[in-house]
Amino acid sequence: MDWNALLFAFKWIILALIYFVLMLLLTGVHREMTLRVEQPAPPSRALKSRLRVVHPGSDPNLRPGGVITLQADNILGSAPDNDLVFADRFVSRRHARLYWDGAAWWLEDLGSRNGTYVNRQAITPHQPQRLERGAVISLGDMTFELVE
Amino acid sequence: MRRTASRPVEALALVAIAAVVLLGFVSAAAAGQLRQGLDPGAVLPQVLLQPLLSGGLLLVFHIFLRLTGLRSEQVIWPVVSLLFVIGLMMIYRLRGEAGVWQQMTRGFIPGLVIAGVLVARPQLIETIRRLAVPAGIAGLLLPLLTALFGVVDETGARLALKIGPLPSIQTTELIKLALIIFLAWYIEREGRAAEARAHTLLIWMRLPALQYFVPGVLVVTLATLALVPMSDYGAVLILGAIFIAMLYTGFETRLFFTIAAIGLALAALVGVVLAFTWEVPAVIQYRFLAFRDPWSTDMILVNGQPTGITIAEGPGYQIQQAVYAVIAGGITGTGLGFGTPGYIPLAHSDFILAAIIEEMGAATGLALLALFAVLLMRIFRIVFLLPPGQVFERLLLVGIGVHFFTQVFVMAGGTLNLIPMTGVTIPFVSLGGTALLVNLVEIGIALAIVRRMEGYRT
Repeated sequence: MDWNALLFAFKWIILALIYFVLMLLLTGVHREMTLRVEQPAPPSRALKSRLRVVHPGSDPNLRPGGVITLQADNILGSAPDNDLVFADRFVSRRHARLYWDGAAWWLEDLGSRNGTYVNRQAITPHQPQRLERGAVISLGDMTFELVE
Repeated sequence: MRRTASRPVEALALVAIAAVVLLGFVSAAAAGQLRQGLDPGAVLPQVLLQPLLSGGLLLVFHIFLRLTGLRSEQVIWPVVSLLFVIGLMMIYRLRGEAGVWQQMTRGFIPGLVIAGVLVARPQLIETIRRLAVPAGIAGLLLPLLTALFGVVDETGARLALKIGPLPSIQTTELIKLALIIFLAWYIEREGRAAEARAHTLLIWMRLPALQYFVPGVLVVTLATLALVPMSDYGAVLILGAIFIAMLYTGFETRLFFTIAAIGLALAALVGVVLAFTWEVPAVIQYRFLAFRDPWSTDMILVNGQPTGITIAEGPGYQIQQAVYAVIAGGITGTGLGFGTPGYIPLAHSDFILAAIIEEMGAATGLALLALFAVLLMRIFRIVFLLPPGQVFERLLLVGIGVHFFTQVFVMAGGTLNLIPMTGVTIPFVSLGGTALLVNLVEIGIALAIVRRMEGYRT
């Protein structure tokens, strides 16, 4: 067996394989990037989401069935400088943050005293939780539903 | 039980990579035999163990990723695998089986295990967040411990710490990761408060409230100063780059540029004071002179006394040899085992790029740089995809990405004499157990963050 010729071939095969892997990865990256362009998220539609009041708690300004309009980023709490101010007794000054990240609504508890609940389950403080349409959110004594 | 994920691109790439490492080891071993006038066929069976083991472990990690149900991010692991494999082939060529075993047992296998645990339990990121303060303290103490009790390695620098019978640890690598974690935690914690209480200075500049800002600066300054007794100026440079990148990510642009301007002014002040009081260490001084002219026949002076060594024989020598090696390699290289990288000092660690270009060609060298570019791009892609609340994760990933980038930049530039030489390792490629371990842990963190992000989105 002519080892010199064999090793010469190996050198080229190794180079070819290295560039094959590089091309494979680059085409993979490219495909993924073009995929993202083809299916843009419809932010305007979902941003029209609102909060429907299910149970007003002890807040005299709310009534069952009422609808609250949301911005892209809302801080919820009892302090007057919040985006959504609630007068419920069990709502902390800075209770939770409800925001739209371009694809979904997220709810983050900001370390409130009485916690924030999604579908009757307490969420971990400072850990944003993704909300599906129709999610039931509870703060203090109040209950809301995320609707279109 | 989670559903397993199909990762076709990654699978195909890893099979090709396994073939690369197999062919590489066979080539290097056969060439070694040929040069001694022996029959290459005789050694082949025992050569196969190491490439099969390393290629197999890379595939095992791929199967593990499938089992965890990770659907996205099929690029990072093949990139890391290919970089590791190119380095491993070169280490085998230069250091033989012992070097490969060292790389595998001290860096690759433990790193793979830790990365695997991180990906399997992505909530460990929260544990890392809680460990940020101890990590910061360790980042301050480790360099001091190393300077006091460290062992002197083959290059004469005191960078490694040896505890009992364990193999020595390159502490600078650990310090980098510890400071990335600490800074991510600190900027996340104080960044928003510092911004909220920022003052507007003059017309445009904004200064964050000092009480939030000073402790972090103090830690970074202390860590940098602690590295000086180790005379690891490369690490100082890299830490500085990581710090600036993380600041830029963590703060609003106007705040960042104000801080940067103040930092530059302070640095200039310190520089002026140092220029009058402090003599630049000979190491740095002669590195710059060697960069300007590696073939210079000027004498090296220590305390004004000539040492009888010229720059060309001292710090210039390794640059000359690296440049000769790059020229000898040409576009496709001499072939594994047919070059003479033995002339380059530290060809297996700091100067591995020169050895790779000599034997595997500039084509492989360029592919290597392209792989690092892809890796950086993928890490920053995760940064952009993270939901807005996850500041800690974002800062962590920026720190990790910049860590890789600066190391490659410093080494590739130094090898080609485009910037002054300073010795650091090339991530995943160079021989160095601790460095590889830390880099694999960083990849584990990145993949764990991806997995957690997927978990939120399902």
